[in-house]
Amino acid sequence: MKAESAPTRERPKILPSNPGKIGESRPRADGVPKVRGEFEYSSDLRVDGMLWGATLRSPHPHANIWSIDTAEAEDMPGVYSVLTHEDVPGRKVYGMEVPDQPVLAWEHVRYEGEPIAVVAADHPETARRALEKIAVDYEILDPITDPAEALREDTPKLHLSGNVLKEVHIKHGDVEATADVVVSGEYEVGMQDQAFLGPESGMAVPDGRGGVDLFISTQWLHIDRDQIAESLDLPPEDVRLTLSGVGGAFGGREDLSMQIHSCMLALDAGRPVKMMYNREESFYGHVHRHPCKMEYEHGADREGNLVYVKARLVFDGGAYASSSNAVCLNAGTFACGPYDVPNARIDSYMLYTNNPPCGAMRGFGAVQVCFAHETQMDKLANKLGMNPVELRLKNAMKPGDKFPFGQTVPEPAPVAEILERVENMPMPEEEEIIGRDLRRLPGGVSNVTRGEGVKRGVGYAVGYKNIGFSAGFDDYSTASIALSVEDGEPIIYVHTAAAEVGQGGVTLQAQISRTELGVENVAVLPADTRIGSAGSTSASRQSYVTGGAVKMACEAVRGKVFERVREEFGDEFGGELSMEDGSVLAGNRRIVALAELLENGGIEETVVYRHKPTYPLDENGQGDAHFQFAFAAHRAVVEVDEELGLVRVVEIATAQDVGKIMNPQSLEGQIQGGVAQGLGLALLEEIQMKDGKVQNASFTDYLLPTILDMPPVRMEVLELADPDSPYGLKGVGEPPTISSTPAIVAALRDATGRELNRVPVKPEQLAGIEGEPIRRAPQPGSRGPVADDLGSEA
Amino acid sequence: MPGYYRAELSAEMKITPSPGAEKSPTEQTEAAREAAGDTGLAHEAGPETVVLAGSREEVLAAMSKVIEASLDAGARTVEIKVEAEGDAPRFGEEHANRE
Repeated sequence: MKAESAPTRERPKILPSNPGKIGESRPRADGVPKVRGEFEYSSDLRVDGMLWGATLRSPHPHANIWSIDTAEAEDMPGVYSVLTHEDVPGRKVYGMEVPDQPVLAWEHVRYEGEPIAVVAADHPETARRALEKIAVDYEILDPITDPAEALREDTPKLHLSGNVLKEVHIKHGDVEATADVVVSGEYEVGMQDQAFLGPESGMAVPDGRGGVDLFISTQWLHIDRDQIAESLDLPPEDVRLTLSGVGGAFGGREDLSMQIHSCMLALDAGRPVKMMYNREESFYGHVHRHPCKMEYEHGADREGNLVYVKARLVFDGGAYASSSNAVCLNAGTFACGPYDVPNARIDSYMLYTNNPPCGAMRGFGAVQVCFAHETQMDKLANKLGMNPVELRLKNAMKPGDKFPFGQTVPEPAPVAEILERVENMPMPEEEEIIGRDLRRLPGGVSNVTRGEGVKRGVGYAVGYKNIGFSAGFDDYSTASIALSVEDGEPIIYVHTAAAEVGQGGVTLQAQISRTELGVENVAVLPADTRIGSAGSTSASRQSYVTGGAVKMACEAVRGKVFERVREEFGDEFGGELSMEDGSVLAGNRRIVALAELLENGGIEETVVYRHKPTYPLDENGQGDAHFQFAFAAHRAVVEVDEELGLVRVVEIATAQDVGKIMNPQSLEGQIQGGVAQGLGLALLEEIQMKDGKVQNASFTDYLLPTILDMPPVRMEVLELADPDSPYGLKGVGEPPTISSTPAIVAALRDATGRELNRVPVKPEQLAGIEGEPIRRAPQPGSRGPVADDLGSEA
Repeated sequence: MPGYYRAELSAEMKITPSPGAEKSPTEQTEAAREAAGDTGLAHEAGPETVVLAGSREEVLAAMSKVIEASLDAGARTVEIKVEAEGDAPRFGEEHANRE
């Protein structure tokens, strides 16, 4: 394949590494520099003469804009550019699925923090002060913050075609089926943030010919490039992106943030422009996990066989579409969990509101429904008087069953096996409470308990999710492999556009190349748009899709090497040709060293790899929508201080099918990290909203689990090969996040006996003191509770 | 149009109000936007621009309604850019055109 655009500068010299082969534990190349503070993130980019960009944001979640006056800001010394929607040269809206989000708002703002104007100045403080000089005349409107309100017909429309962004209706079997044993419940998941540590940042550099280079931390270079080019009204080849150091992503960098803004400013000012959000701005600068309210009903016979599942899911998509369509579809398809359900009716709705836009986050719709369906399974087991693991085993889906969305469950689908594995793992020993290290008590070193009121609980959950992009999307990746000789040694150059966001993709690409071509030295070039798209680093897909592309490109190179060998040495070798230790072998016999074979020229091959096709759902929500599924089960052991509602997670045990362990150390990291994010959702992490405004846009107030909250993770990994995937591997990044949350909450219920139908679980729920304060007559000499604290009746 | 979940057809329509018309420029634009909104396919794409996205049949029919509403309100120019994406095969159909 021809490179898509011309380079504007020399490729940096990349130091080769010896990455080992697949299946070996190899530390990530970026690991040590990150720990030592030496890694260069996109926020560290600098160039002489650069300007600093800044963004004026709406303080209101819903308002009309009557005028924007930038004159005073433009007159400030040190200010080089002030731009509004009138300066967007091309399409004034962007969006991955639906182009509904203004690059810069014109008549309306639909969420707090929506960008209205951007400024470039010679100092970040000058840029900030210039923002203060921009006068915006707002007419403040009542925000619509409740998806249920947005769904009502008499509610004002936030977008031209109404407030319903997407509906998915799945009808499977007899949707009117009835059962002897019925349980129902209402569940809620709060708005979780990806909480990546590196805030949004990048630098745009004008090329002097009307084009622009953007150095950026993102998850998908090409979809960024295409959206930027549309809004700049430039051909895609005039917008070149290079991946810079990414400080985590988890879905939050799939949408654009400052990409178009920085390019507009750089092209207008004729100077490089760097933009870097601070932590508070970052909360407004990216999408979050969708909050969701779910109504469920499960029916079963008296032996515990599921008869039907009915679910109604209502997601808060926030102000703009982002990837909400796909989240709505995913949630609908996975709403029943990994069980053989003969009859189902699932209705999934995605609504626009004046809350922050929500979009991709690790687990992508499967997280919310897993919390609900696993709570329902525990409730059903309780009503039947069954062991909850036994109930799950009885209903576990297996290859050949039908998913509620009509697709046949493929091999491997080891739901029962992973459940049995977590059930059979040894339990953590119960440590004597008296005399215990405080760090191992609920509340930790705050010294709030010596063990009184502390109860232990155990909970189980199992979940699953698709890998990669589904429902007919043309999901592919491009890879180029160049095999040459430098300083007398063979070396492989790997080039893709796959974004390394901390998942270990660069190391894996090198391992695959090393394995396939038998060459020690491998250099992975920076990801950029000079090569074709690799798709997004999301949906747990890069090992499969870009890994597949790298493997396929290596095979193409190997084929060319063997052709050259045959040309030079004939056909009769007495054995199959192979490549090992920098040589071509026939059987065990060395035919030629690559250094000799390639001395007059290397070999380069570029390929495009696709997984098998998928198809959209039909009007009844039926279709072969997904190409791979990954499963994980979790067991949580917790200790709860019932009086204060404080929790210590003692241990998480997990079993997961990964198809093939590509790099054991990376895999362990993914599982540990996913569990940490699941624990965060269970106990701590929620963006607090009030009247459409974010209340906790900082890492002081948005609570994240730390290493002190993180328990040991006992893990068993199954290698059941997927016959369709490269090496049989499965995506591994998301499953640890999906069922760890409901397992922890199930353990909290086990310890406290409380319902706990909402995550994150708050201490007041565990202590049984949530809800309205008790109204009492004031004490003598007291005015009693003030009206604001107790509502208007007080 | 970029996007990983693309509609079969999208139409970007820019309505240029006529200053000499009976209705004000704002009313002319508003009439077009209202008609676009009623089709269920529309998003704003600028002060005087809407995007319609959906199936070919839906978008072509919706375009006609938006043009009609714009002209009725007094606008005399509607610029249209139409982009088509290939059909994704439906469940049960041949796995056509895929490698």
